[in-house]
Amino acid sequence: MVSIHPAPDQKMSGSRVRLLDKLPTHIPGLDLILNGGIPEDRMTILSGGPGSGKTMLALEIFYRNAAAGTPGLMVCFEEGGEAVRINALTMGWDLNAMEEAGKLAVIHPEIDYGAIRSGEFNIEGLLAVLAGKAQEIGARFILIDALDVLLRLFSDPELQIDECWNLNRWLSANGMTALVTAKLSQSLNGIEKYAFLDYLADCVIYLDQRIVGQVMTRRLRVVKYRGSGYSSNEHPFIITRDGLVLMPVTSAALNHKPLGQVISAGMDTLDRIMGGGYRQGSTVLISGPTGSGKTTFSSLFAQAACRRGERVQYVSFEESPETLIIGMKSMNIDLAPHVAEQNLRFLTAMPEAMGVEEHLYRIFNSMEEFRPSHHIVDAVSAAVRMGSEKAAFNFMVRLMDECKKNGITCIYTNQTSSRAPVDEISGVGISSLMDTAVILDYDRKGDIFGRSVLALKSRGASHSHRFHRFQMTDQGILMDEDIEEDNDEAEGDSR
Amino acid sequence: MILSVVEESKPNDHRKMILFVAGEGLNSVRARENLLRICEERLKGRYDLEVVDVLKDYKPALAHNILVTPALLVTEPPPKVTVLGDLSDTRKLLKALQLDLAE
Repeated sequence: MVSIHPAPDQKMSGSRVRLLDKLPTHIPGLDLILNGGIPEDRMTILSGGPGSGKTMLALEIFYRNAAAGTPGLMVCFEEGGEAVRINALTMGWDLNAMEEAGKLAVIHPEIDYGAIRSGEFNIEGLLAVLAGKAQEIGARFILIDALDVLLRLFSDPELQIDECWNLNRWLSANGMTALVTAKLSQSLNGIEKYAFLDYLADCVIYLDQRIVGQVMTRRLRVVKYRGSGYSSNEHPFIITRDGLVLMPVTSAALNHKPLGQVISAGMDTLDRIMGGGYRQGSTVLISGPTGSGKTTFSSLFAQAACRRGERVQYVSFEESPETLIIGMKSMNIDLAPHVAEQNLRFLTAMPEAMGVEEHLYRIFNSMEEFRPSHHIVDAVSAAVRMGSEKAAFNFMVRLMDECKKNGITCIYTNQTSSRAPVDEISGVGISSLMDTAVILDYDRKGDIFGRSVLALKSRGASHSHRFHRFQMTDQGILMDEDIEEDNDEAEGDSR
Repeated sequence: MILSVVEESKPNDHRKMILFVAGEGLNSVRARENLLRICEERLKGRYDLEVVDVLKDYKPALAHNILVTPALLVTEPPPKVTVLGDLSDTRKLLKALQLDLAE
């Protein structure tokens, strides 16, 4: 479904073309971005600020390579060895079992910062340990986490550079592929402290974590890749409980259609707080606990679209179309005629009935034939039941990507647990991947049950930034403020 | 009383050391020379020195968290002290060996 145009992956040297050997990361989106993987027999730097996901990404590449039969040696300077093993285990990567099977080795030397310095020294000790240990398990792949911690042993910046050159020379002389993490930090004069690492390494990947609005966004960017083509875009990613999921972009990203015109979110009452409505071809997340109105919001949207004569494909993981249609009728939302007129198509399946690939195959096939303008998945959180969590996120981003490419509006409802952060699917923040995020909630004050809606973000629209209380009535969704206004007006008239 | 304290501290007068070197590298040769000189001058008969060449056997280095060479590990008397470098700074070496500068 996603076409890949391989960038020229050769470096012309004279008239001869030499292909760069690569070690796959075994992370689908990342291998696309890197045009196959990280360079073999060379050093790749993975840098980023604290908490940007460097160690997690490095560990995943390390583990997946070992699992695929490429043994690796990991040197942790960053945290105690046990912590790394436990962190890996929470992602389902059992380093101990792999180590016992001889597929990898993890060493975690403790650096003695209290050591007395008397004269010159260098990292030959470390190199000897690396050589010995790597030979023991037949490793040609080394992960160093994190190099900046080791470099603190050398007080002089010149020495730090020398030692990095030593390391780099040793790696290439010994045919070692290295993945080296380094924390970015600014020194007092504002110059990046380990900038020289970027010159030294053949491949530099930068991870970044920032808060935009109220939304945490993680991005990955390949800063340089000597002798290889690569995607230089910023790629959003999320960290799921079993690994990293990247938007499957690169070539596909270029095919993404820009956001289209403003279309109704379903009712004028909603459009007012959304800054006009949603954008055609955008990705919209509607999050909230059970019974907060997610299905009502998406049904209203579908109804409005069908009334305009546009087609909507509605994937329901929660209810049968019959149940859904009957439920919506109580709010005067009548979807049945639109189904009859073939403007609205329901696709239902139990998430656990098949794997991600089959679900996607079924959805894409139907999309190709039906050609909808809008696509709804209610609720995308149920995709976790398709198998592994990572697979579920892959389902989500691939469907999103397919919609983006075709300019189809993609609406995801997301069921949140009672008090968990509103923009998460089983603990993973996803709103950074969305153009628009709508949060639904409810509360109880005494015997009064109240509902509220918040436009958390909406790209390209000046939306309201506060919770609006609303009611679900037989006239659809009515905002309390509008009702009060009407009452005020009515009262004013009567006076 | 005072005498007995001195008596008890006597076993502590013995130094146990491991020097980690990398082959015949310049720093390593210098470290060995510098250490042996001080030992002969100040610790004659009161020290055990083990020299480990990390290029021949990396395991002791791994076991003792040695990442840079040359490195001197003084294991006795406690506390354990690590000295990094070719030991050309004699003052620092003496300090690590708990020897007075004046002597």
